[in-house]
Amino acid sequence: MSLFGTASSFGTGGTGVFGTTTTDSHNPMKDVEVTSPPDDSISCLAFSPPTMPGNFLIAGSWANDVRCWEVQDNGQTVPKAQQMHTGPVLDVCWSDDGSKVFTASCDKTAKMWDLNSNQAMQIAQHDGPIKAIHWIKAPNYSCVMTGSWDKTLKFWDTRSPTPMMSLQMPERCYCADVVYPMAVVATAERGLIVYQLENQPSEFRRIDSPLKHQHRCVAIFKDKQNKPTGFALGSIEGRVAIHYINPPNPAKDNFTFKCHRSNGTNTTTPQDIYAVNAIAFHPVHGTLATVGSDGRFSFWDKDARTKLKTSEQLDQPITACCFNHNGNIFAYASSYDWSKGHEYYNPQKKNYIFLRNAAEELKPRNKK
Amino acid sequence: MGRKKKKQMKPWCWYCNRDFDDEKILIQHQKAKHFKCHICHKKLYTGPGLAIHCMQVHKETIDGVPNAIPGRTDIELEIYGMEGIPEKDMEERRRVLEQKNQETQKRKLNPDDSDEDDDDDEPGSSFQQPVARPPQAGFVPPMTQPGLLPVRGAPVIPPAGYSGIPPMIPGVPPMMPGLHHGVPGMPPGMMPVGGMMPPMMPGMPAVIHPPVSHRPGITHMPQVPAVNVLSRPAVPAVITSSAQPDIAKPLFPSAGQSQQTVSGSPHTPPSTTSDPPKPTFPAYTKSSAGVASPNADTSTVSKPPSTVTSKAATLTTTSATSKLIHPDEDLSLEELRAQLPRYQCNVRQNTPAAPSVAPVNAVLPPQQLSLGNPIPGIPSILCQFSGPPRGLPGYLPGQMLPFVQAHAVIPGFQGAPSRPPMGVRPPVMSPGGRY
Repeated sequence: MSLFGTASSFGTGGTGVFGTTTTDSHNPMKDVEVTSPPDDSISCLAFSPPTMPGNFLIAGSWANDVRCWEVQDNGQTVPKAQQMHTGPVLDVCWSDDGSKVFTASCDKTAKMWDLNSNQAMQIAQHDGPIKAIHWIKAPNYSCVMTGSWDKTLKFWDTRSPTPMMSLQMPERCYCADVVYPMAVVATAERGLIVYQLENQPSEFRRIDSPLKHQHRCVAIFKDKQNKPTGFALGSIEGRVAIHYINPPNPAKDNFTFKCHRSNGTNTTTPQDIYAVNAIAFHPVHGTLATVGSDGRFSFWDKDARTKLKTSEQLDQPITACCFNHNGNIFAYASSYDWSKGHEYYNPQKKNYIFLRNAAEELKPRNKK
Repeated sequence: MGRKKKKQMKPWCWYCNRDFDDEKILIQHQKAKHFKCHICHKKLYTGPGLAIHCMQVHKETIDGVPNAIPGRTDIELEIYGMEGIPEKDMEERRRVLEQKNQETQKRKLNPDDSDEDDDDDEPGSSFQQPVARPPQAGFVPPMTQPGLLPVRGAPVIPPAGYSGIPPMIPGVPPMMPGLHHGVPGMPPGMMPVGGMMPPMMPGMPAVIHPPVSHRPGITHMPQVPAVNVLSRPAVPAVITSSAQPDIAKPLFPSAGQSQQTVSGSPHTPPSTTSDPPKPTFPAYTKSSAGVASPNADTSTVSKPPSTVTSKAATLTTTSATSKLIHPDEDLSLEELRAQLPRYQCNVRQNTPAAPSVAPVNAVLPPQQLSLGNPIPGIPSILCQFSGPPRGLPGYLPGQMLPFVQAHAVIPGFQGAPSRPPMGVRPPVMSPGGRY
């Protein structure tokens, strides 16, 4: 039975290093560890799209590399290939057909990695590090969208060195998400812009941020008809805002919730508030996962407005997460995110990527 | 708004100074925020009730009312809604509200004046008001509503500025001087058009206007229906409707209306403010001031001197109740990290040549791993080098070259002053691997 199918035996799936001596605080959830993880912090994770058979995981890291593993049904992870940039890799994404992987780096370039031939070529150039990269597949065009700290959002036809379009943003791009026909970009200084991608990308609306702190991650969610209808925005202040684009009753429909904070109900000890490093929506259930600097991940049901689960605390922050195409696997990366500055960086500390069976835990709670 | 005679204009919570539209909502708020047992989440009716419950049921003592601002945590005071509030606190509150009202009016009229406390409007102010109003209007609401505004004199929430509001001043300059004049002592509570919150510490020079930058964008947005509505609910975002004469209410005008004003006016004055977080967002609280404020600094561009920890230093503490685990800088974690020399890109690529494209073909695995690691930045690739493309559409013909390891710089480029070699590996490396 497949590890990643419906529940059942999830054994300590034969992948690498498990059961290490020291306490298990590096993997308190006893999830499957991916073999040969990158040597420096993992900045992004992405699973292959449904168009490809099997599950392939891509991870970009601060060691300038992008690695690819095949995740087998029994939980085994097999390293497949790797590519390099000349600077830390900040974001990765897949093309819709699963044949290419796009990678974005601090070296101001983005590359297209053809997995079949294992060749990568540069397809984009910015004036600053590229923080977000997404593939857009529209009925009448396809392109790669890159958001950079140079305050521009560019769209590239991978065959040409000049962008098809370049849009100016008010500030540096910090995170973005695309679900056709909508794209959301969150920038520095709490900027938030929604773009519509039909015909050609154009700015749709600038939104006043629902959050009061620096934006860190964003993820679009869909409605029951599978159309993008809003997004979840996370900040460095342990809070996520759920925001609908055109809600019937914004005051009631939009809301924020606190997360990734140390126990604070006790009024005597100060509460530690951690950044939300990434948000991912389950492709089937529509529930979401958040991971934070506190080293925990949590699952939430935004419609019932409840928390479904919070994990145990890992000994390192969790920097990235993603679901595979059918929502059976939840991958999360444990590595240092710089939340306590450079003093707490230990290059020797191992970085991990864990895989967890997500089929059951993310089922929505029935609204009472 | 209703009768002036009511206890305090609008119901407000003694524990956290927030304002509410209705006493019922106030009570719900108190039950959920202040009288809720942290162990079993049962909602009690009063502070002493909560204390007794914890003692009897959980055998635990609590030392203060949860989520209350310092000075208002007395667990023994029996307060329910607006009942039970000590008279002196009531008066203080009334006073503060009045002052705030005065301030706004005063400001308008007499920028040089520094008094406060006056009950009457200055003579001659009236003509100015209409003019001044609009821009100020934005400030009014927060005043009356504040909820969070600690009120001078009252135990102040150590805001340390407030979070999230970058001092974008572009649209505001005109206001500033006026504000300052009028208000030497007044905590620029008026300022935060942003609607947020807590008075700024004197250290915060200016008002912040977060959305200022957004405004332009919004004005052109044709989309109507929800434009502003969206921002509203979410919260204290600033609303960008433009000057409307007195907005004094907590809620923003309806979307349609604001839409028009928005599109109509080329912006300017700070516009209305949004109201402070409302009870409708249960999860969204200011949680006793602490939370938000902490990082006011990080978000602001011009960091006020107050918190200043050494660069990249860890935690920015704020109030006694919470601290943000994030370096005290305005940059994102990635930006801070990327500044380190070890992560500087070794760009050979940017170099000269060209425009671009450096197709990279590294192949993989294991070996690379060991190699590349120790020094990030080294790896490879990218160098432009020649080699027939091999069928790749590619832009620069001639660039692809299957390769492992890179660095090899191909002649031709080597010449290119390898830029500050970023201290790294001598290009030569490439032993084998080049096919």
